[in-house]
Amino acid sequence: MELRKTSIHQAVEAVQQGEITAFELIEKTLKNCSVLDEGLNIFNSIAGIDALEQAKAIDQKNEKGGNLPLAGIPVAVKDDLCYGVLPTSLGSAAFNEFMSPVTAAAVERLMDAGAVVIGKTNLDDMGQGSTTLSSPGGPTVNPWQAERTAGSAGAAAVATGICMFALESDSGGAQRQGASHCGVVGLRPTTGRVSRYGLNTHCSSFARVGITAFSCENIAGVLDILSGFDERDAATAVCREGITEISKIPNSDKLTIGYPVNAFDFLEPELREVFEKARDEFAERGYKIAEIDLGLLREGLQAYYVIALIEASSNHARFDGIRFGKTGESEILEEMYQHSRAEILGKEARRRSIFGTYLLSKGNYDQYYRQALKVWKMVRQEFKKAFDQCDLLMLPAAKKLPRLLNEEYSFLDEYFEDLFCAPVSLSGMPALTVPAGQVNQLPVGMQLVGPPFSEKTLLALGSWDTGTGPLSQE
Amino acid sequence: MDDISKGLEKAIKVIKIKVSSSEQEQLQRELKEFLTWLEPMLLVDTGQTEQQFFGHDAVNVLRDDHPRQSELAELQEAAPKFAGGFYLVPKILE
Repeated sequence: MELRKTSIHQAVEAVQQGEITAFELIEKTLKNCSVLDEGLNIFNSIAGIDALEQAKAIDQKNEKGGNLPLAGIPVAVKDDLCYGVLPTSLGSAAFNEFMSPVTAAAVERLMDAGAVVIGKTNLDDMGQGSTTLSSPGGPTVNPWQAERTAGSAGAAAVATGICMFALESDSGGAQRQGASHCGVVGLRPTTGRVSRYGLNTHCSSFARVGITAFSCENIAGVLDILSGFDERDAATAVCREGITEISKIPNSDKLTIGYPVNAFDFLEPELREVFEKARDEFAERGYKIAEIDLGLLREGLQAYYVIALIEASSNHARFDGIRFGKTGESEILEEMYQHSRAEILGKEARRRSIFGTYLLSKGNYDQYYRQALKVWKMVRQEFKKAFDQCDLLMLPAAKKLPRLLNEEYSFLDEYFEDLFCAPVSLSGMPALTVPAGQVNQLPVGMQLVGPPFSEKTLLALGSWDTGTGPLSQE
Repeated sequence: MDDISKGLEKAIKVIKIKVSSSEQEQLQRELKEFLTWLEPMLLVDTGQTEQQFFGHDAVNVLRDDHPRQSELAELQEAAPKFAGGFYLVPKILE
């Protein structure tokens, strides 16, 4: 069974009908993992024996007639989602051996459904970034071109066929940009659809648990399992509508796709061409195209960074070396804090904590924070207004092709790459990255954004065959 | 020392992070660049717009409060130093 060419539904059916055991499937996955991970730096830790033990238990349940919807399906989990069996590094060398006392709600739900965690994937310094270039363990290499970054290790794990889907986090766009850079599909669900319990986030207002997979069909099956109220995350919603069946693509004559003209002006011509072609293809298929205005993208990005940095400065306060992690060497309390925090927080996390504290200080609070909160509101209103004119929006996922590993860039260059993703995070609306085309033999992804809880429509539309998706690549 | 540099120094002190002098110099330059980068957002006419505080507009429904089993034992295991029900830190009193 080749995971790249098999749907989750087919693989589960094969396990349930005894064509392959969960044990064999996971054993094969772990072998692939050791071969394919070499040089790509996808995993921070690999489950090994624990994963095989879980697979054995699933086979036993299967023999007793258990009807697990993800029986034996391998999943990679980003290393900022707590999982009691493997270390949770949070993107800090000081946490390489940290065993979390809790397991994230999303991971629990997957395991209850029969999925097997095969490893924890690489991430930026304390999960802050969209490239993995600031990871203490070094960047994850793009499976398409080895001299470039993958953007997200979960996307690389899926693109290489190591696993059928990955569980990731997304605040300003790391997951969506990674999916774009690796030519796979990534869903950031509506705010409140998936519990964030057990997700270590630097940015509570915008961090969400997302799914990256090879196809929309695979995402739909997993999303059904993850959706719904969790009393440990007060912001979760009761989700009654099932998403598993997405085979019916929305009637083209009833759907209007919004094309924010000004957004595409930020792109280089060769990238813009990909989206113009996608827009024309939608029109050829009978979808109505409405040109709309999203005039606050850049200012929305800046508001995102003010709020994200301020929240990071607060969320990082718990990393004091006393309750978990490593304690800095000193007999003086103040110095112990300083040393502990210097060891735990890498360069980017330190920068964000310090700048966030500065923005919150007297004199700056009103000027920056209050203004950012108002711009946040305006961005939400702008997106809501856009959906008066259209049913879905198309936007780029990334501003550029994936970065070269040896490229010189400033922190502001990296922040600016979230231009198309961070404002969507502010809107709270769901976004799906799907392959839209290629430039210089690298995949380019498109975000489809819809109103709250419109995932079913997004996934149905996203399953259209662009002919450039990874399924058509050998 | 200008106001931004003073503010930065204070922020570093408040959040208790050990930063070398060369890193602090670099952070000063970067903070100035960052504040310049934010200028377009400051120019947005927000008029009577209210502030947004949450990622959604739903109304929170509070659940009943029920006592649960303490997770102290698990938290204890995760702490570098823990004894007698307390996290241990260096002494601040003789």
